[in-house]
Amino acid sequence: MTSSIARFVRRSGFGLALLLGSTALAPAQTRGGMAIDANVGGPGTFDPAMIATTIELETLNQMYEGLVMMGEDYRAKPMLASKVDVSPDGMTYRFSLRHGVKFHNGKEMTSADVLATYERYARISPNAVVLANVARYEAPDPYSFVIHLKVASGIFLDILKSPAYPLVIYPAEFKDKPARDPDLTVGTGPFRYGEWQKDSHFIMRRFDGYVADDSAPGPDGYAGRKTVYLDAVRYNFVPEANARVAALQAGDADVAPTLPPELLARFNGRADIAVEKVFPGCQNVLLLSAGNPPTNNVLIRRAIAAVVNAQDIADASGQITRENPSILYAESPYYDAAAVKPYYSQNNPAKAKALLAEAGYKGEKIVLQTNSNYSYMRDEILVLAEQMKAAGMNAEVQVVDWMTNANNMAGRAAGWNISTSGFCSQPLLGPQQWRNMVYNFANIKGDTALDTAYDAFFASVGVDDRRKAWLAAEQIILGNAYFIKIADAGSVFAYSKKLSGIRPWYNIRFWNVSKQ
Amino acid sequence: MARAAATLRRLARHTSFRIGFVLILLLALAAGLAPLITAEAPTAMHLRLRFRPPSFAAPFGTDLFGRDLLTRVLYGGRLSLWIGFATAVLSSMIGAVVGILSAQYRRIDAVTMRVMDGLMAFPAILLAIGVSAALGPQTGSVIAALTFSYAPRTARVVRASALVIRELDYVDAARVAGVTDLRLMLRHILPNCMGPLLVQFSFTFAYAILAESALSFIGVGPPPPAPSWGNIIAEGRDYTIEAWWIMLFPGIAISLASLGMNLLGDGLRDLLDPRLRLDG
Amino acid sequence: MNEGLLRRGAAAAGQLARRLAQALPVLLVVAVVTFALLHLLPGDPAVMIAGDQANPEVIARIRADLGLDRPLIEQLLRWLYALVQGDFGRSLMLNQSVLSAVVERLPVTFSLAVLSLAITLPIGIVLGASAAYHRGTWLDSLVMGVALLGVSVPSFWIGIVSILIFGAVLHWLPTGGYVPIGMGLRPWLACLVQPAVVLALFQIGFLARLTRSAMLEALQQDYIRTARAKGLGEWLTVARHAFRNTLIPVMTATGIIISLLIGGSVIVEQVFALPGMGRLVVQAIMARDYPLVQGTMLLFGFAFVLINLAIDTLYVLVDPRVRYG
Repeated sequence: MTSSIARFVRRSGFGLALLLGSTALAPAQTRGGMAIDANVGGPGTFDPAMIATTIELETLNQMYEGLVMMGEDYRAKPMLASKVDVSPDGMTYRFSLRHGVKFHNGKEMTSADVLATYERYARISPNAVVLANVARYEAPDPYSFVIHLKVASGIFLDILKSPAYPLVIYPAEFKDKPARDPDLTVGTGPFRYGEWQKDSHFIMRRFDGYVADDSAPGPDGYAGRKTVYLDAVRYNFVPEANARVAALQAGDADVAPTLPPELLARFNGRADIAVEKVFPGCQNVLLLSAGNPPTNNVLIRRAIAAVVNAQDIADASGQITRENPSILYAESPYYDAAAVKPYYSQNNPAKAKALLAEAGYKGEKIVLQTNSNYSYMRDEILVLAEQMKAAGMNAEVQVVDWMTNANNMAGRAAGWNISTSGFCSQPLLGPQQWRNMVYNFANIKGDTALDTAYDAFFASVGVDDRRKAWLAAEQIILGNAYFIKIADAGSVFAYSKKLSGIRPWYNIRFWNVSKQ
Repeated sequence: MARAAATLRRLARHTSFRIGFVLILLLALAAGLAPLITAEAPTAMHLRLRFRPPSFAAPFGTDLFGRDLLTRVLYGGRLSLWIGFATAVLSSMIGAVVGILSAQYRRIDAVTMRVMDGLMAFPAILLAIGVSAALGPQTGSVIAALTFSYAPRTARVVRASALVIRELDYVDAARVAGVTDLRLMLRHILPNCMGPLLVQFSFTFAYAILAESALSFIGVGPPPPAPSWGNIIAEGRDYTIEAWWIMLFPGIAISLASLGMNLLGDGLRDLLDPRLRLDG
Repeated sequence: MNEGLLRRGAAAAGQLARRLAQALPVLLVVAVVTFALLHLLPGDPAVMIAGDQANPEVIARIRADLGLDRPLIEQLLRWLYALVQGDFGRSLMLNQSVLSAVVERLPVTFSLAVLSLAITLPIGIVLGASAAYHRGTWLDSLVMGVALLGVSVPSFWIGIVSILIFGAVLHWLPTGGYVPIGMGLRPWLACLVQPAVVLALFQIGFLARLTRSAMLEALQQDYIRTARAKGLGEWLTVARHAFRNTLIPVMTATGIIISLLIGGSVIVEQVFALPGMGRLVVQAIMARDYPLVQGTMLLFGFAFVLINLAIDTLYVLVDPRVRYG
């Protein structure tokens, strides 16, 4: 039911709490015990080439590892590779693999496994396009893996670090397995697959043969030196927010993610329960179809952008939110809020009316399509509809189910003008991750200025050039109102203080966590 | 004529009927006269006044958009009562025809009961989810889906009664006296099935109102922003404690409507069923 | 007496066989209707599988892999052909066989339904019968009042409130989830008792009202008066004659109750996080998992046909007056 487009489990963050709560200060940690996480829903598969939902991402990235992984600061960090040598021309990436790393089946990981993983990924992953720039692979010896690119790239490692559709390594014997094959559960991560009952629970257990990266001082995002104290982690799938809160209150669960902020008062007076609100989590964005009339007219799209009062829409979403005019975060090297500020939360009905008059708008119907599965999307659209009506637009809300909604957005379908979604990994990972979404969802064709900007972004090896190219692209995306940014949405989770070592971040990780 | 008048007089004296009738009348009047009771529009938002508890200005409080809940419950009654009524009428009509024909003719029975079984094989909620997903969530698909689900049940109950009545002595006597099948069904079997049919009608009405809220809970009820009792409750589900008024007032409205419909049906059954006299 | 019962038994068996044969075309209708309804739905499972990085080429490739690009009639015939061979197909979303997916979840919904039915039947019938017998007294009013309450409150509302009270505040019962009976009777009962009671509340009200109404009719019949006149004891009269005639509508109601239970379980499984059939089908419909929805609907259809057959057959056993032809 979930897709990462609608990632409704939202948690992530890089805050002060994290910097202060280093492991050195933590109390001595004991081994053993099982942590229970009352999560919203369950995974659909553990095939790394296919996973995109939040719960899949969260569980799978604790069981598998890639050559590089995303660190606490969201940058690429070495994991299974001890070092990466990039040739001066930016065309060749040589990875030196760590020795003695064991898969859950006991076999040692070598470059043959890496090669098989990458080849299978290129063949079956929906995200295989990210490897289109690869000319060939080479595995000259068991501990070396070389990637030759067709065109020089400064962002290739950023592509490899993605935790969504992750390029994590599994044994070569799986190379011919079809997509979503149930046998694909074997990685090198500190947790291993335990027990999975669909719609009920998933258990992952400590992998006692885990070979930690001792060169790192401690855990670092999805990379670094990971130590597992717990015997197992059990994810229970609990769709109702009330029930997740009740489970934590009653001690049936140790962690309860994805909580509506209004429910947090129930933990008042409970000194044994900690509440975390972490930013950044996801972003809420309005998508406008440039393919369907009347929003194929840029003036009408800009008129819609002009009426938006982002604060009111964000308040109705039932999430904790923060203002941010950009579709990236401040941590990103490409972030420049000032450049896109004029397009954000304009709350200017007079300007909208002028734009509508200029466009020759005669009350044509503007369809706001949303879905019944994700209440925050529906609630945002309902508020937007009122704001548009107040400016004299003929806004019609259409509620369909999520599949229809997602299909219409991704499939460039007719019949809708505005929709909304939450994006989690795209803003975190940056411009390269946004490209597909922008072109597809807004149904963009023939915007040569945007094409040029994006081409320049991918072709530039230097960071400054890429930064410039992206700013041009973002100003077009928001200035032409293909997207209208609403807000950053944080994630809210609560946990029992019986657990120590929980570090609030993009996703919860259970290594270096222990239970009393 | 005299008999009908007598029945009406007896109905007016029947306690459950009176209570039920008054309840339904009040709810229907409140829904119908909503624009006279409140000046608000049911979709008007006041985002600065979110989650306000009941007060003099907003007797039922406000919801997460700051919309006035009294207004929404009043207007929501229009949609919910309509769904209940339309579903009950359609189900009773289809159920009565199919049930009586099935009891009367074995050939028809073989086919219709299998088709009814086939339709009943789809639990109402699942059928409604499918129909709503196909047609888009809208009031019409809710009514269609609920009718598909309840008509077969009514048909089965009517058929079971008709099978027993068919074997009663006086029906046999009529048959022997050469009364035509049509007349037999209309004059003898149908009136004798009215009791169970009316019980079914009241249940279907009440259940359709409940089912509407269940469908809203799953997300395939009448679409927002127009209010129905069910979708108001569903929107307040996460705030059971913090904003209890969102779920409470439409919940009471649903319960009252269901209660009223059941009492009304009880009264009708007591009085219209020729074999059941109050003083019997 | 024995011979009569035997003869009726034989007649019932014969009828059962005939009905089973008649059931086949019904199942075909169910199968085709499900297939048609499902393929009318907008949306595409390939998009769901491809996820958010999907572009039209990827989606087209997945569609081809799944055979979704073939003509509908070919897809239908392929599915039916496989069905005849006992192959219900493979779920797109779970990537496992439909049958094994159903087998995994069946125990949950079955446990819930059986427990709920076990609560409903005795309570509903006793309440209804005693209300009818004590008609017009305070007991009647009380019982009917409770029954009315049961059928008047939305089940998900009671469910949520129940979790808050018994789970979060009192800590008497788990807040959700399922423990198989193999892990012990007590935990199994503990996790099911809340959802089962929530589910049963409505059915009890429904059954009590129906029983009362049927019993009242039965008590009015001539043969009851005759029995009373003959001086048969009051208890025997009621038990042997009135109650027996009440059974027919009650049996009809049981069929309805079972179907209401399955429908209600969709909601209750969601509220109490139970991994049952209801949640499975809802997710399958939402994900356009064609084989899974088709397969489960067909199995539902099969179960219902069987239940109703059993009830029809029981009519003949219980009520000698019901004959055909």
